[in-house]
Amino acid sequence: MSDDIVALQSQGIKPAARNIKEGLMTSLWFFCAAFAVVIVFFILVFLLYNGYPVFSTIGLSAFLFGDTWDPSGFPPLYGIFPLIVDTLLVMALAMLIAIPLGVASAIYISELAHKKVKSVVKPAVELLAGIPSVVFGFFGLVVLTDLLRVTFDVPSGECWLAGSILLGVMALPTIVSVSEDAISSVPKEFREGSLATGATKWQTISRVVVPAAISGITAAIILGIGRAIGETMAVLMVTGNAAVIPSPIWNVLSPVRTLTATLGIEMGEVSVGSLHYSALFGIAVVLLVITLTINLVAYKILGKIRSGQTGMGVGGRRYLSHETADSLKKYGIYVVTVIALLFVFIAAGLVVGLVCVLAVFLWFILRQKLNPRQVQYAAFALLWAAIGLVLFILGCIIADIVINGLPAISWEFLTSPPTDLGREGGIAPAIVGTFYLVIGAILIALPLGIGAAIYLNEYTREGRVTRTIRAGVDLLNGTPSIVFGLFGFAFLVLYLKFGVSLLAGQVTLALMVLPTMIRTAEESLKNVPMSVREGSLALGATKWQTVRSVVLPPAVPGIITGTILSIGRVAGETAPILFTAVVFSSRTLPTSEFEPVMALPYHLYILSTNVPGASLNQYGTALVLLVLVIGLYLVAIIVRRHYHMKIHW
Amino acid sequence: MTEHNDIIQVDHLNLWYGDSIALRDVTMGMPDRQVTALIGPSGCGKSTLIRCLNRMNDLVDICRIQGAVNFHNKNIYANDVDPVEIRRKIGMVFQRPNPFPKTVYENVAYGPRVHGVEDRKQLDAIVEKSLRSAALWDEVKDRLHDSAMGLSGGQQQRLCIARTLAVEPEVILMDEPCSALDPIAAAKIESLIEELKTEYSVVIVTHNMQQASRVSDHTGFMYMGELVEFGTTRQIFEKPHETLTENYITGRFG
Ligand SMILES: Nc1ncnc2c1ncn2[C@@H]1O[C@H](COP(=O)(O)OP(=O)(O)OP(=O)(O)O)[C@@H](O)[C@H]1O
Ligand SMILES: [Mg+2]
Repeated sequence: MSDDIVALQSQGIKPAARNIKEGLMTSLWFFCAAFAVVIVFFILVFLLYNGYPVFSTIGLSAFLFGDTWDPSGFPPLYGIFPLIVDTLLVMALAMLIAIPLGVASAIYISELAHKKVKSVVKPAVELLAGIPSVVFGFFGLVVLTDLLRVTFDVPSGECWLAGSILLGVMALPTIVSVSEDAISSVPKEFREGSLATGATKWQTISRVVVPAAISGITAAIILGIGRAIGETMAVLMVTGNAAVIPSPIWNVLSPVRTLTATLGIEMGEVSVGSLHYSALFGIAVVLLVITLTINLVAYKILGKIRSGQTGMGVGGRRYLSHETADSLKKYGIYVVTVIALLFVFIAAGLVVGLVCVLAVFLWFILRQKLNPRQVQYAAFALLWAAIGLVLFILGCIIADIVINGLPAISWEFLTSPPTDLGREGGIAPAIVGTFYLVIGAILIALPLGIGAAIYLNEYTREGRVTRTIRAGVDLLNGTPSIVFGLFGFAFLVLYLKFGVSLLAGQVTLALMVLPTMIRTAEESLKNVPMSVREGSLALGATKWQTVRSVVLPPAVPGIITGTILSIGRVAGETAPILFTAVVFSSRTLPTSEFEPVMALPYHLYILSTNVPGASLNQYGTALVLLVLVIGLYLVAIIVRRHYHMKIHW
Repeated sequence: MTEHNDIIQVDHLNLWYGDSIALRDVTMGMPDRQVTALIGPSGCGKSTLIRCLNRMNDLVDICRIQGAVNFHNKNIYANDVDPVEIRRKIGMVFQRPNPFPKTVYENVAYGPRVHGVEDRKQLDAIVEKSLRSAALWDEVKDRLHDSAMGLSGGQQQRLCIARTLAVEPEVILMDEPCSALDPIAAAKIESLIEELKTEYSVVIVTHNMQQASRVSDHTGFMYMGELVEFGTTRQIFEKPHETLTENYITGRFG
């Protein structure tokens, strides 16, 4: 690096020339960073533009509150109210499962686990995040729905409950890792202060540590909700997809249909330009508005924590006298408990409900009788049970797929094209197609992501511009993948006339992983200490020289981690390529960027939903996909650990 | 130096962090209702020793201990002893004020609540009494329900003392309680310690020699993990037996 500077001086490069180069660099990075904002804006405008006819023809309120969704009826009806209700129901029950399990696991990992246990359990939970949603959907379809069908003795297990269980599990990693972060960043001094008054460990956790981390936990939950609402493939495969409001409303065994599933099912069959087409874009707009709001709120909270405004801040103005607040708190606990119990009754039926009532009753009685030590035993037992259950679920999914998938795996399976609609033959074209999609998407997203991160971290002060860009990145991150799919279809496939093609799929996927790229790159740039930059600048190096020769090199491992993670996501996603890049029948490999491809997740989706009797090859495909994606996540985790990086995804 | 009215006796205590030894064969007694000061250069093991006295070192994974710490003639490291009980009777005030992110009231009420006091009136009484004993009541009585994070550093430290007093311990351990404070705030804490010793036994770690000589009755001088000399404060400061002690106290320390 110092060589550079010496060379510069001895060659006597004119400051003017240097300034032009620096200026160019700055604009280039700014362009990369602004791209994220432009894209969000563009997506919104494009969806609105395509959705506008439905709003203008049938009216916004008839669209939002119409009680029937029946696009193929006479006359066709486009009321999405049942879809919205179903989406919320599925999400709410999923959260009822995910929040207690997730927060308990986070507490366990942060507070109870020994170092060694933690170093295994934490990545294991993160691995859950790596399982592609179509694999979850596949598992749900072949194992979970069957289990429900037998357990509850109903004709079909494809229902609300199945969707919620699956979504709950899928939202777990988000909730666990964000809340674990919040909990473990509570200063050690609080714990010491509490223990020094003779509080037990559990008292310290429940009365000091968790309250101090509450905003982070809230943000984690909101992000989990966002993930649950935006998920398409898994819900689509297990909820039965009947656009009805469950009757009675607590009938968890009723089939339901979410907003995302509607898009996933109908977008492929709709005739372009029709009112139905427009209605689907209307749904995408509604979905986008919901998820964007949720994400904005979550990041607002997280941002506040980062700038230390909550928890530690000077107490704000009080709206209630403390006596009122006190009794509110006291009765609040009873009210919340009663509501939660009612919900359990509604959701899980009489028996489970009664058991829970009994448990709560026992708890309230015993709490008076038990000493803090015994309460601690009980609490820790529950925490262990929670983390045990999470790991058990993870183990079940992986074991099922590995055990049933292994017999399908052979050299032939991996290298030959499918025959008989995929019942026979192999998956070679799908593997290659996925490979092409990954390469293209990463080649587009990586430079953009690094550029944006460099701009955000090196070239500006925090201010309105960076805030806007960050908000854009956060919003892009929260956009459901099916919405990217719709955008890709309308803009790339139709408007830009790419057709259903490799290129359209690559660009769509690139947009989807761009936020992950930016975030991880920025995080790793941040980890480079300020003193390094100062050292270089003090030698007379320019900004770009400093960035290139002393800031970027140590950030490389972090960027690699981010890239591997992005590869994992690109390889596993189905929804964005559903209408932009893939065809099922294609037996040959694409010869140009403008031809469609096959892809592993899509192949699995079609095999498990449209092709009866392909059981062995389904499992084989699922296994290959799982190994590929989980393998990538494992590598990322190992790289991260090797370099002791603090990068979250 | 061990007398019969020692409330805590440290008996041939050795302590390791991993492989490196931090305390070597420390034996000393902390007299009941007196102030015992620990002095010594940075890194000599003062914090380590004081944190042994209420088993705060249990929180450090790599910490290993040999020997005994007797509280009321019972070893607190015996197998059947619950560290939680010990910490209730032996409270601790830390170097940096560490109030919880709760209101002033909730900070002080925390300990009693944790030990099962739920009656509001009783809690009110405990909070007022503790804040008065910590010489903080007059300054905060109108803002009991504001966040404790809004208090000044000195007030926060006295709040932490009040929090400790609220559980009515027998011994209060203080690890450099004034080092993060300005001289005036420090003076307030010093005079507070004077008053506390009528009811409590106090062990204080300090870097400030004047402070040790002002507030303490007994002083131990530590060096490289060993207790070099222990005696009445007067004896240590006026005619130390060891040259090491003398050098340290007179500031001739290499
Ligand atoms: N958690 C720990 N892990 C490993 N070593 C430790 C730990 N805490 C303290 N030590 C080591 O033990 C020795 C004594 O440390 P201690 O904090 O007790 O010193 P001290 O006398 O309190 O110093 P100071 O006056 O600077 O506070 C030091 O060498 C320190 O590095
Ligand atoms: Mg110390």
